[in-house]
Amino acid sequence: MAQDLVIYAVVHQPRRLNLPAQPIPKGAAPKDIERCLFDERLNEEYFHKVATYCYYPATEMFLELADRGLKFSIGFSFSVLRQAESWDRKLFDFFRQLAAHPNVELVNVEPYHSFLPLLDLPMFAKRMSWSRDNLEKVLGKRPEVTDTTEMLMSDAIYHALDGLGFSGAFLDGRPWVMEWRESTHLYHKGKDMMLLARHYQLSDDVGYRFSNKGWWGYPLLADTYAHWLREAWGDFVVLAWDYETFGEHHSRDTGIFEFMRCLPDELSKRQIVTLTPSEAIAKYREQSFYLPLPAFPCTWAGEGGMDFFLGNPAQQAVFQLMLQAYNKALLTKNPKLIDLALWLIQSDNLHVIQWFDRSGSDAEVSAYFTPKEWWELGPSGIIWEMQQVYKNFIQTLDEYL
Amino acid sequence: MRQRKITPENTEFVILSFEGPDRYSLAGGLGVRVDNLSETLAEMGFRTHLFFIGDPKFKGEQVRYRGNLVLHRWCQWISKYYPNGVYDGEEAKLHDFTESLPYSVKDRVAKPAVAKGKLVVILGEEWHTAEAMCRLSDLLHSDGLRDKVVMFWNANNIFSFHRINWGRLNYATTITTVSRYMKHIMWRMGLNPLVIPNGIPKELLRKVDDGAADEVRQALDTDLILCKVARWDPDKRWNGAVEAVARLKERGLKTVLLARGGVEPHGQEVLHNARSLGLTVREARMKPGSSDGYLTALQEAASADIIDVRFHIPLDFLQVLYRAADGVLANSGHEPFGIVGLEAMAAGGIAFTGCTGEDYAIPFVNSFMLETADPMEIVSYMMYLQDYPEEAARIRKAARRTARYFTWEAAVQNLISKLENQARIQGTLGGQRRLAEPQFAVSKLPPELLATTLKRHY
Repeated sequence: MAQDLVIYAVVHQPRRLNLPAQPIPKGAAPKDIERCLFDERLNEEYFHKVATYCYYPATEMFLELADRGLKFSIGFSFSVLRQAESWDRKLFDFFRQLAAHPNVELVNVEPYHSFLPLLDLPMFAKRMSWSRDNLEKVLGKRPEVTDTTEMLMSDAIYHALDGLGFSGAFLDGRPWVMEWRESTHLYHKGKDMMLLARHYQLSDDVGYRFSNKGWWGYPLLADTYAHWLREAWGDFVVLAWDYETFGEHHSRDTGIFEFMRCLPDELSKRQIVTLTPSEAIAKYREQSFYLPLPAFPCTWAGEGGMDFFLGNPAQQAVFQLMLQAYNKALLTKNPKLIDLALWLIQSDNLHVIQWFDRSGSDAEVSAYFTPKEWWELGPSGIIWEMQQVYKNFIQTLDEYL
Repeated sequence: MRQRKITPENTEFVILSFEGPDRYSLAGGLGVRVDNLSETLAEMGFRTHLFFIGDPKFKGEQVRYRGNLVLHRWCQWISKYYPNGVYDGEEAKLHDFTESLPYSVKDRVAKPAVAKGKLVVILGEEWHTAEAMCRLSDLLHSDGLRDKVVMFWNANNIFSFHRINWGRLNYATTITTVSRYMKHIMWRMGLNPLVIPNGIPKELLRKVDDGAADEVRQALDTDLILCKVARWDPDKRWNGAVEAVARLKERGLKTVLLARGGVEPHGQEVLHNARSLGLTVREARMKPGSSDGYLTALQEAASADIIDVRFHIPLDFLQVLYRAADGVLANSGHEPFGIVGLEAMAAGGIAFTGCTGEDYAIPFVNSFMLETADPMEIVSYMMYLQDYPEEAARIRKAARRTARYFTWEAAVQNLISKLENQARIQGTLGGQRRLAEPQFAVSKLPPELLATTLKRHY
């Protein structure tokens, strides 16, 4: 029965594309191209909304929990930090305060939440290294454990990260990856870097199902949940969520904050100890197990495979455009254009069109993340205009070649 | 209790337009219209904001008329890549205009004005602003400001009507247009726009120097002078004008057509047609550095039947030409309003208008209205005027009288009356919300029009 608990939450906001696509003037400078590609007004609007409903109350809650002795870990994408720094300095400082807390471990993430781990591993490694340095500079702690983008992990990604000297990384403990193994142990793939496997069922009980009135477990109370955690077989449970789970995915009136505030006492009653990821790695390193990682990347999104991002023709088309945009930008050797291409390969751009040609809960989640302002274009219009953004960018690179 | 009126103290104006007063922003009549409209409002004391696609080299914001007129040059970050004027890079500008401008108008103009207890009047011009007006209406609604704002959207032409979401625009704004002809076109689309005519600057009513007009006549040394200023466009019926010159020549009347076209390729077709009819064509160009060489330039080309004027004609010299001509051919087949005919009338010229949007024209009273595309119609009227010069003199006088009722001041008064009515319907101008009653401003009609109207109905 699991005695220890590792909690991880990742804070991220996408840099939404400018739809309908703004035509890019011929010969435009990178800063004007950037203005055409991204809808910063929309991004700011969403940022303030999420800050109000989630970031402020959730950070307040997590700080309170940390003060009460709960240990957990947190990751910030550069995408969200940039927005906080630009549009809400007070919140940015609040995030820093949270990251600085002794009971909080800072986790590295792919800075732009991009598909680099799928597209270009050497560049991915470079960017992860940059992110680590940047987080240390901005938030004052150097991450030792890392996440990627949407918790992408594969054999190749593992080796890229191991080469950077991280002590551990997260992956989603899906059955097709774990096979007969439990996610409640520490793993490795033959190198120094350890693997923390997210318990996807217990995580999703909170992350997805908490406010679902049709779920048999509804309403989920802290004592029940602590009991389930205690009942899990193994050494420790890894829970990982979007930070936006608290107040955004599940609004305040669902009771999500009260649930979290009650959780530490219920954990204590059952002698469950919270550990930071590094503490868990230190504690269980000697009894870690070999995990053969798949060549196909796994993710915490959808059913755990890349079909969540590449499962429909619209996503496949945009992904091809991402490849073209990124590689053509590399040909220019212009750092500003390469940077724009990195933003364009942000995973959210495929996340928000997963609903195309699909139905079911994953499609509902995807549609929820699609900006409501885009729906005026209609489903086909969204896909068309999104592709147009990439085509415009690809075309405009001619001026730099 | 008397109803409140729109005054500079209680109202602020916002005009949205692609074209505007900068040379970069002037492409056709729209730029002149918004320039005159905004200046007239500012001169009347109204604080007026004009948002337009401004010259990228100028300041983004510029204040004129003792602070009453604020020019907001939009899309400058795009325009700097498109040096060839307002419609160069049109789609890129349209996208940015639509996406960004509504927020700015709401936050920077409407909100502060409403906070001061003012009524805000927003006027959108042409199809480019239609979507922005709808979005602005939505934004104002979501901020609880929509009922403090009156929004009119104006169609100056039928350009890109197919790109407008009419149901949405008609719901979000009060649709207006510039003539009854346009109203009838739009009726067929299920719309019922208010008609607010265009205007001319009152400076055009100043008496034109007859001496200068005589000099033009002497310089051209011909029996008849015709003048036509229009884009080279089939709608403008240039070929009809050229053919009329040929027919008059056949009748032994030496006729010169002063032709000022644009840069459009149809011009080559028209001039080729002229030559094939046996007419001679010569270009009139200004010598570089010459400041008063307009007359000389025309004189040098005077031996031709068609003088292709290849220099910019300043407004005061244009007035002289209108005055000097025996006929100003504003004979378009489709004219939403027809400002050239009105300008010619203001100069005491004899306008030959088409019979579409020229509401100001009353045939045989203040102008000639061409009912067909047959050049013989022009020819026969010209012959008639040759035989009855006293009729020509009478029409010239009547034309100037009519033009006085179509200055920008008069147009703005008309606009304000309709805005007041709309504001009362919305309940934004004080008092309770009430149904509008039709307004018949009969007393404002010119006597010629009044007489005709009364004759028709009684």
